[in-house]
Amino acid sequence: MGRNLRLENLTKRFGTLTAVDRVNLEIEEGEFICFLGPSGCGKTTILRMITGFETVTDGKVVFDGKVINDFLPQKREFGIVFQSYALFPNMTVEENIAFGLKMRRMSKKATAERVDQMLDLIGLRDWRHLYPAQLSGGQQQRVALVRALAPDPQVLLLDEPLSALDAKIRVRLRAEVKRLQQELKKTMIYVTHDQEEALSIADRVVVMEGGQFRQVGRPFEIYKYPASSFVADFVGTSNFFKGQRVGESVHTGKRQFRVSPAGSLPQEEVFLAIRPEKIEVFKYEEAPSRLDSSNLVPGRIDVVTFLGAAVRLVINVDGEEVISDVIEKEFEQKQLKQGEDALLYFPPEAFIVYPVKGEGK
Amino acid sequence: MSRDKVLTGITAAFLLAVLLFFLIYPVVDICRLSFIKEGSFTLSNYITYFSSQRVFRSLTNSLYVSLVTTVITTILAFFFAYGLTRTTMPGKGFCYTVSTFPLIAPTIIQALALILLFGRNGLVTRYLLGTDWNIYGATGIIVGECLYCFPNALFILYTTLSAVDTRLDEAAQSLGASALKTFWKVTLPSAKYGIASAAALVFNLTITDFGIPVVIGGSYTVLATEIVSQVFGLQRFDLGATISVILLIPSISAFMINYYLTKKSYAMISGQARPFLQPSRPLKKWGFTFYCSLICFSILVVFATVFLGSFVKTWPYDFSLTLKHFDFPSLGSRAPLWTTFWTSLIKEEPLRSMIAFKYAPIWTSLLVAIVVAIVGASVTLLAGYLIEKKKPKGEQVLYTLSVLPAAIPGVVMGLGYVLAFNKPYFLIYGTIWIIIINIIICNFTLGVLSSIANLKQIDRSVEEAAVSLGAGPVSTFTKVVFPLSRVAFLSTATFFFMRAMTTISAVIFLISAKIKLAAIEIIFLDVDGRTASANAMCTVVVVIVVGVLFIMRFATGKSGLTGMGTK
Repeated sequence: MGRNLRLENLTKRFGTLTAVDRVNLEIEEGEFICFLGPSGCGKTTILRMITGFETVTDGKVVFDGKVINDFLPQKREFGIVFQSYALFPNMTVEENIAFGLKMRRMSKKATAERVDQMLDLIGLRDWRHLYPAQLSGGQQQRVALVRALAPDPQVLLLDEPLSALDAKIRVRLRAEVKRLQQELKKTMIYVTHDQEEALSIADRVVVMEGGQFRQVGRPFEIYKYPASSFVADFVGTSNFFKGQRVGESVHTGKRQFRVSPAGSLPQEEVFLAIRPEKIEVFKYEEAPSRLDSSNLVPGRIDVVTFLGAAVRLVINVDGEEVISDVIEKEFEQKQLKQGEDALLYFPPEAFIVYPVKGEGK
Repeated sequence: MSRDKVLTGITAAFLLAVLLFFLIYPVVDICRLSFIKEGSFTLSNYITYFSSQRVFRSLTNSLYVSLVTTVITTILAFFFAYGLTRTTMPGKGFCYTVSTFPLIAPTIIQALALILLFGRNGLVTRYLLGTDWNIYGATGIIVGECLYCFPNALFILYTTLSAVDTRLDEAAQSLGASALKTFWKVTLPSAKYGIASAAALVFNLTITDFGIPVVIGGSYTVLATEIVSQVFGLQRFDLGATISVILLIPSISAFMINYYLTKKSYAMISGQARPFLQPSRPLKKWGFTFYCSLICFSILVVFATVFLGSFVKTWPYDFSLTLKHFDFPSLGSRAPLWTTFWTSLIKEEPLRSMIAFKYAPIWTSLLVAIVVAIVGASVTLLAGYLIEKKKPKGEQVLYTLSVLPAAIPGVVMGLGYVLAFNKPYFLIYGTIWIIIINIIICNFTLGVLSSIANLKQIDRSVEEAAVSLGAGPVSTFTKVVFPLSRVAFLSTATFFFMRAMTTISAVIFLISAKIKLAAIEIIFLDVDGRTASANAMCTVVVVIVVGVLFIMRFATGKSGLTGMGTK
């Protein structure tokens, strides 16, 4: 129905290095897609192939039913927002926004109207005559955003647009991008290495590693049900244990964790992953007796880090580090202290099990 | 990217063709003439050269003068740069500015000043000391070249020393090394590539220079002057070509060493270099202040002497002031446009004939310099843009050809132009256009290198942003890249202007009875024995260049001299 963007077996090789390895994806019109992965995973290369700044080695980029592999970048009508803002330093805010309209030979009057409209969108009407160097990083990136949106592109591509900004501004701008996307119903493709950003902003997240897609799904699914130990580790924080599955339990050296549901195969090498916030921590002598004792493990609180609403504990369990996040209020109530012994409870249903076979971890 | 590629390809092909025709072809023609006689290969020219004692001496003379100049200049410039970068001496800005002065004048200004001070009728030698000793010959050439090459060596050493991390020095001292030991074991080794590259540059500049030796050398001939006298005096084009080939060997080698080491030196520059300096001890501070002042004084004396020499009646006997030297003898050249312009503007004689006719070489020089500035800066920006951003096929060849001109001595290029283009069907020969082309090609290197350095600073995303907003290759260049290179463009244009106003060696072969240039006239006036008028002409050239520098500084808010490291 809509003007979808499709990647078909898209591949990019630089010499012997395969940067992007036969990826397939259908992006619907109006969808907000995030490519998430560590640096060097190929996410920016995919973006550059979509924009036309990088040639396609193999496969297709299809837009609105047409293969656009060989289209010039300036003919694709895709807007781009760059990490370095890339505003034209020799032009004012207004001239920057009008640039794409002039290139499309829009009339003077229509251009002026459109520029006003764009400035209103980001609430920067008063700054129209300033030069980029006179703006803060956050303001510059907002201008870059509407400059890319001004010619009404079919698709907006954003290449780590917020990475160069301070943490606080990053969060605010993130919300602004999301708002714009919902208002304009524009297809947006967003590249980032910041998992929190990806999860909070996108309709669907594509987790990448080594030029391949590891998981494609909605943010909630990806966090809750990571498809592999790589995803579990990269998206959010996870504690990992390696072990043998025996019936309902997994044997990890000295311990046996009860895991439910454990899956069907009777014996297999597996990874157990568990999110820090799923682990419950108690003062040593105060663990409630209702808990399954095989999933109750003693340890010593080594490091206490305040994260604001939560407190992150690094707990030494038989020489292994286990990370646990406790809500700040609970941390105080339980009177947990650094250097003291504690009991950790791993709820059986909180474990995610991955086969070791074919895993990098 | 079809249209972009086609456009890039056409431009690259055009630039390659221009460089092949106006750079390589003349040099090839010289080699051909030196090796081939009556259609067959022969070494007879070289045998003639090496068997003629007098002619052969020009090679040993050149090497001697260049080596001595190299050693002296490198040492002087090193300590000057050290004072500016590593001590807390006062007046650094002043010293730096004064040290760049030699770049704004024709090289002969050094020789003219030395003759006024230490010549046969020198102020110091004849008037103050009453001695018969004079500076003509090797001594004069060496002193003159040292003054001329000083800023060129200084730029490289200044960059090197200000970039090397001073914390290394502090670390060494905190480990117990004495100040002197730190200097020998840490400072000097970390600047070694810079020092060697500065030395190679000085050697190249000295061995290729023509202006100073022709004025102050007397009977002491060097390769560059020998080429000119073989061609002009004896009409021996074949011997001139042979000496040119011989001169090419040391000059290209020195250039390559300089080029290679400069790259290596810049690669060593630490990103963590720190500008903070601990206060120098008083002895060091005032020692360097004295040393740097002394050098600045020498440079200023050169300019003051020539200025003064152009305003006094009879140097060094009658110091009453006069303007008569500025009324140049009728030089018989014409600058049609300007002459019409001035004759319509000025009605009263004798000012009218002086400005309109006698000043013709100056107006020709000005016209040439303006055209060279605009065209030279544009073409080198375009070449730099192709090399740095577009990387077309054959980019390496284009780059090599663009960098090569600095390696080829001006006199060789000049002679090459005569051999290659003095043909009836080559219509621009004998016009100012051949001069303009020659000056642009001879100074192509610095223009391209500074364009590339500047373009490297433009973020690739800025261009991509323009393209993604619908701009084609032409709009991207004119609306984004060019405006962003404006300051660099103006400073390259200033450089080309200065070179065109002051250059001597190549264009001396290309002027004619009708078309004369101010810088060349200085030599002819001097050779004619009209030393005072030569001084006056030199003063006029310097005033024009300084005027343009001020305008440029005003236009860009930056000194037009920044970053003019090579010749």
